[in-house]
Amino acid sequence: MAISKGYTGKILKVDLTTGTFDEISTEKYQSWGGGHGIGSAIFFDLCTDKTIKGTDPGNVVTLMTSPLSGTLAPSVAGRTEVQGIGIQAYPIGWFTRSNFGGRFSTQLKFAGWDGIVLTGKSPKQVWLNIINGDVKLQDAKDLWGLNTRETQEEIWARVEPSKKDSGWANMGTSRDAGRTTQHPAVLTSGPNAEKYGPMAALVHDAGNGAGQGGFGGVFASKNLKAISVVGTGGVSIADPDALMKARLWANDYSFAGHHDKPAEYVGLVAFASTPGRPLSTIQDNPEGTKSRPQGCVGCIRNCRGRTDTGQGNESQCVDFFWYDHHDVIANGHVTDASPRAADAIQLAGVNAFAVEAATLWIEQLYNKGIMGKGKEIDSNLPFDKFGSGEWAEAFINSIVTQTDIGKELCKGVAQAAEKWGRLAMDTTSGILPLQEWGLPHHYDARTEVEWGYGSLMGERDINEHDFNWSVYWTPTINGLFGLEPPVSAKRLSEIFAGKTAPYNDPMMINYSDEGIYSEAMAKTVAWHRHYTRFFKQSMLFCDWAWADFVNPYGPDMEGMTSIGENKFMNAVTGDDMTFEEGMEVGRRIWNIDRAVWALQGRHRDIEVFSEYSYKVGAQPGTTTYEAPYTMPVFEDNEWSFKSVAGRILDRQKVEDWKSLFFKLEGWDIKSGWPTRATLEELDLANVADELEKAGKLGASA
Amino acid sequence: MADLKNTATEVTPVVDSKTMSRRQFMTGVGGVGIGAIVGGLLGGALLLPDKVLAIQASGGYLLVDTKKCAGCTSCMMACSLTHHGETNMSLSRIQITQDPWGKFPDDITISQCRQCPYPSCVEACPTGAMHIDAKTGVRTVDEAKCVGCERCVNACPFTPSRALWNFEEKHAQKCDLCEGAKFWDEVGGPDGKRACEEVCPMGAIKFTKELPVQSADGYETDLRVGTVWKSLGFEGAPESGGHLG
Repeated sequence: MAISKGYTGKILKVDLTTGTFDEISTEKYQSWGGGHGIGSAIFFDLCTDKTIKGTDPGNVVTLMTSPLSGTLAPSVAGRTEVQGIGIQAYPIGWFTRSNFGGRFSTQLKFAGWDGIVLTGKSPKQVWLNIINGDVKLQDAKDLWGLNTRETQEEIWARVEPSKKDSGWANMGTSRDAGRTTQHPAVLTSGPNAEKYGPMAALVHDAGNGAGQGGFGGVFASKNLKAISVVGTGGVSIADPDALMKARLWANDYSFAGHHDKPAEYVGLVAFASTPGRPLSTIQDNPEGTKSRPQGCVGCIRNCRGRTDTGQGNESQCVDFFWYDHHDVIANGHVTDASPRAADAIQLAGVNAFAVEAATLWIEQLYNKGIMGKGKEIDSNLPFDKFGSGEWAEAFINSIVTQTDIGKELCKGVAQAAEKWGRLAMDTTSGILPLQEWGLPHHYDARTEVEWGYGSLMGERDINEHDFNWSVYWTPTINGLFGLEPPVSAKRLSEIFAGKTAPYNDPMMINYSDEGIYSEAMAKTVAWHRHYTRFFKQSMLFCDWAWADFVNPYGPDMEGMTSIGENKFMNAVTGDDMTFEEGMEVGRRIWNIDRAVWALQGRHRDIEVFSEYSYKVGAQPGTTTYEAPYTMPVFEDNEWSFKSVAGRILDRQKVEDWKSLFFKLEGWDIKSGWPTRATLEELDLANVADELEKAGKLGASA
Repeated sequence: MADLKNTATEVTPVVDSKTMSRRQFMTGVGGVGIGAIVGGLLGGALLLPDKVLAIQASGGYLLVDTKKCAGCTSCMMACSLTHHGETNMSLSRIQITQDPWGKFPDDITISQCRQCPYPSCVEACPTGAMHIDAKTGVRTVDEAKCVGCERCVNACPFTPSRALWNFEEKHAQKCDLCEGAKFWDEVGGPDGKRACEEVCPMGAIKFTKELPVQSADGYETDLRVGTVWKSLGFEGAPESGGHLG
């Protein structure tokens, strides 16, 4: 069977040790869809010892596109999935993933590649130069200490030939070699990233970052500084007219189709959000700043911006949020400290979530007299200027240069806490917001449990907002203003039930004290794991536009999810995949990931939240979001919205919930490991064999 | 102005193109829908008295507002998709170029064909492949007649050239206002739909049948006036920071 349309048909395999290249047939892995699915399958095949550390040359890193990359599928085309053994989680660096937007995946597809697989370690510092089918490893000694912007601009200068008078750059020696007006897409780590590896991100253009996992440090450990790609080919589409019509159909669900009268919706939505301000923002850029909305390739909502100062260009969400509330508290309003802080992490290639958690903790330590000049944890950072751009830049610089408190924080936040003898103490009191696997607390496992459970059953902060916009933010914002949310709790349960095949259980969004431990919540977490593994991380639908559950432009407020995803996929590939079939591929991907974690040492006994989750409710100023957490609950036979703020988790009930979840997934309840029956049902007998050989195969029920 | 090259040719505009409006244009040549040029031999032209060669005006023009553009390049993919059945930025007849670290509004340039009143690309073509469609006035290419000399590419006074070399199919091509968008089941051209305009999520591309006022920097276009743009925060204090997620 020939490979479907949308794929280029080949994946670039780079052996950094020998400096040689090979091609992997995409067709061999097409059943995994793309992105994460193909990345996991290739990792499983090529990484022979999955218990190694992320910095080991045996680590296999994949950067994958999807058949939708470089197409008109809305808010999909620009994302790239990164995988490999990470170095951020503590104490075990799980096989993990990150994901970034921009132009990289598009240029990679246009160059003729569905993905890149990195193996081995280069004997010298190099960067990878891809111009269509021409691939080279080039010396990076003089790039190694450059920041992310300097690196990219230097590589542009080296890759781009002098443009002809026509303004088109010819990417070869013959006139038919292919021409482009576009800059190469470059993905790079910051300066000397091996020295702050667990904190190091990969950055592309001004504001696209793959932060989680420490992949900037993993790249550096392989002596790889950057990857540049430029392509002049195209992506062949099975049904161009259907794709164009689908895109215009999607306009009706977005601002794009309603310029004259955008929806008046109090709350937060995904696909239907207005451009350049993805949420109902609580803070602006510095007064007087002008800007445009800006988006990744093919985006329909264009959630970022570029400003007339150039500060904060393309940054988004936590890129600002790690510091802007400190800015506002110190200065009374947003100043240039916020975009300066965003630029500091982008240029250094530092993980925004990690420094967000670290900053909240550091502030507490300083206020308690534990950190500061001459204190128990000595620091000369200018704490008297906390909230200024100067402090933010000094802090990031301390990590990049391994000076001051950066001497320890460069090894990771949990690692620094351990070194300072505070990890257990501060994750019990809750002033150090690391909720699972030593990774930063994002949305609260105590209240929005699908987020916490998903992160705990997986390997990282899930950072997937599929439920979040509708079950947390919208009712919470309306609650703050004394308003009724635009969609009632009962109607919300109906919308979610209708779009969450194969479970379709209205109780899946019951966040009551009983509901969070229920079988229905196990279905929620399983559905979420399977949906995101396939549709968002393999087909690469962007988290900031999809899933589209609630949409003020849709009929009866219903979004496109469960219909829209496959409409685009099938127009591009020419296949006839159903939503349910996609969910099943997601389950398969989730199982192979779970198998890798089992090989790395995962067992249900260590799947526990940090102690503060069981001991104290959220405390203002210590964790990321302390809004009231108003959520849908089903109590006394009735749906309503209710504040669940201050809730703590019951340790035994969490354990009981895990058993429900493992049973639903077909895993061994005692260990949490996948069973042979489940793996073989998913055509993963080879995975079962490897688990059995390692003594990590779950016992049959 | 940054991208206008030396335009010295035999073409002698009857009015200053930097300030020419459609009204002035019509007045200058004394005929509806007819441009004028001295010398040269252009397809779609009429020979008027006194050896004045009149050139048919395009049936319409793409207007772009760079301040509204979000740089998503959806227009580029829609263009190549509808014309070639593939998404391919190198084959797109509209080009978006940008600097990620640039300062608004100079960080983005939209390069669309202006359907020039005096089309240098048409004039430069030795075979008549690049021609003016007699029915619609659109400047377009008869691919069968193209011999691949690329004179049209080099003659375009703008950078990047709006006439481009299709290195896959070996012929020149340019914006035809979607008259030749054979992979899209819609009527294109001045009286139909244009893919780039339809797909732009920001409303930064519009079509007009009126010859736009243009300067050397481009059309003097503001597609934000009369829209909700200002209320979204993109004039004054934009709201592109401080988001929760």
